[in-house]
Amino acid sequence: MDLDFSPAERDFRAEVRDWLRTHVPGPLPSMDTPEGFAAHRAWEAELAGARLSVVSWPEEYGGRGASLIEWLIFEEEYWAAGAPARVTQNGIFLLAPSLMRFGTAEQRERWLPRMARGDDVWAQAWSEPEAGSDLAALTSRAEPVPGGWRLSGHKTWSSRAAHATHGFGLFRTSGTRHKGLTYFLFPLSEVGVRPIAQLDGLPGFAELHFDGVYVPESMVLGQAGEGWRIAMATTSSERGLTLRSPGRFLATADRLVALARDAADPALADRAARCWVEAEAYRLHTFGTARRIMAGDEIGSAASMGKIFWSELDLRMHALALELLGDRAQEWLDGFLFSLAGPIYAGTNEIQRNIVAERVLGLPR
Amino acid sequence: MNFGFTDDQLALAATVRDVLRAHCPPAALRSERRPAWEQLAALGFFGLLLPPEADGLGLGLTDVLPALEETGRACLPGPVVETAVVAPSLLPGVPKLASGTVCVGVLPPGQAYAADADLADLLVVVRDGGARLVGGESVRLAVRAGIDPCRPLFEVAFDTSEPLGGSPAGRPAVSVEAALWRGTVATAAQLVGVARELLAMTVSYARARTQFGAAIGSFQAVKHQLADVAVAVEFAAPLVHRAALSVDGAVPSAGRDVSAAKAAAGEAATLAARVALQVHGAIGYTEELDLRFWLARAWSLSAAYGTAAAHREHLRSEIVGGSPRRYP
Repeated sequence: MDLDFSPAERDFRAEVRDWLRTHVPGPLPSMDTPEGFAAHRAWEAELAGARLSVVSWPEEYGGRGASLIEWLIFEEEYWAAGAPARVTQNGIFLLAPSLMRFGTAEQRERWLPRMARGDDVWAQAWSEPEAGSDLAALTSRAEPVPGGWRLSGHKTWSSRAAHATHGFGLFRTSGTRHKGLTYFLFPLSEVGVRPIAQLDGLPGFAELHFDGVYVPESMVLGQAGEGWRIAMATTSSERGLTLRSPGRFLATADRLVALARDAADPALADRAARCWVEAEAYRLHTFGTARRIMAGDEIGSAASMGKIFWSELDLRMHALALELLGDRAQEWLDGFLFSLAGPIYAGTNEIQRNIVAERVLGLPR
Repeated sequence: MNFGFTDDQLALAATVRDVLRAHCPPAALRSERRPAWEQLAALGFFGLLLPPEADGLGLGLTDVLPALEETGRACLPGPVVETAVVAPSLLPGVPKLASGTVCVGVLPPGQAYAADADLADLLVVVRDGGARLVGGESVRLAVRAGIDPCRPLFEVAFDTSEPLGGSPAGRPAVSVEAALWRGTVATAAQLVGVARELLAMTVSYARARTQFGAAIGSFQAVKHQLADVAVAVEFAAPLVHRAALSVDGAVPSAGRDVSAAKAAAGEAATLAARVALQVHGAIGYTEELDLRFWLARAWSLSAAYGTAAAHREHLRSEIVGGSPRRYP
């Protein structure tokens, strides 16, 4: 057991840090405004130019073939540098692992390099009005037609869809519940998009209306009917780890500790120190998880423990910042609102606790 | 970067677990003062951390951490941490330490009473003025009420003793501090083991106990409490592992990392105890059920080598009051 970075890993960290120091822009407008979306997309292109947008991907798709440890180093440096939020994150962290594992060579070559540069920006389309936590209750359908499929139905809470170019999600092609779902890619230009303003007043997600949208066969990921398995398979490997890397919470914890130092209130300082230690715990835990994944293990349902831990830590940190700052909390407001979404998205924390209880601890359903 | 235990480290833990299953079953906690001690000694357990010139194996704290967790999991009585972990660092020259025939007790700073002092052939008393070594024959003990029936507390008095480590004119008391850090991390590892066993026992009970025609473990109110325990233990353990690495490597953040480990492990274990008792209900609130030993161990070890509150205060001064640097 050790916690030592190799010389190559230390060199990589130094390179990333140097590049970010000279390239990170000042605060960009929100990515949920048209001008902010464009600015964030331009930033992705700049990152890609330095082959830093998707470091863990193979070189042929725009990455560096970096190890999971190097990716974690990248993330630590990225967030410590105060770099912009990733407008491409639904694509690069949710869709790309599935594309790499289940996509055809043609699909990988067609979509991954464009995703890496921010040429295409992908929105997720999982939830429906009557299928949230119970995702398998979804009713959107795909009907086979010559050469492809027609998509119909209604998706909602589709993050980034107001401005993104493409979407991905599950549609029913046969069967009931988890069986007979198929994983589709689609261009948003063909879909009815109704932006929905979030708590900050900006359209961070949208409703999607599919009225017989035609997509060719090449937009099916994996086999028809295998959608649930494909969507879930990557949650137990990289994606279980990459949904939220420790780097962003370490950076938040450092900012929080600086606030607590200025405030000089021992009770609040105590809570800040606790958050700082918990961010460290998440970092250490992630190093352990990365080791297991690199050794070929699947982390499976244990990823749910991480999701509970980081989302509730993030919320505690931002709530504490607001307590420390009172009405001078302007710089923390966006982060506070975003942290409130953490225990809801990617499977609510109630669902995550059920998963931990049933699949990690073995309690009856 | 390889933040996981090696096969050797896990194999040592498995060996200790087998010995404890055979020789420290729950029934032994009711009938023996020091079960499994001789069998552990025969295994070489008390020499693991001693240098080879003292007949030991010269292992690091990290190497034995999973094995220490097993001693917590089994609720093993006796001054195990003091004899197997603190003494090798503080008293490596004491003869027969490796064989387990000399039993060592420790009264750490900030504590009023010494646990398991009735078994101690040698007692280390650490006070502001430094550490003193007291022979068992010159100690007067008065038993004091404690919460753990297998870890009794004693008020200690003595007339003769000898200084240890930092005598006023001698070298600084660094070795005493480092030895106490080791004991603190070892105790944190035991707390992780206690918490894991409490969780396992409670999950097992929640699967078996039915009410309203269903296993109580199928109810979300119960599931979510147990999930919270699983999360607390899952994220306390890496802090303990890191503290052991930090102490072994004498990194600058070692003191901070030790406090983070002890606070998190103590809080995880007390949460595990709280939930275990709640889920067991009235049967858990009895002396008859073996659960009581693990509940008591969670509470008693949480108070040992610094309460969570004391370690939290230290963390606050190090992190908010100081300059928090991350290692690596």
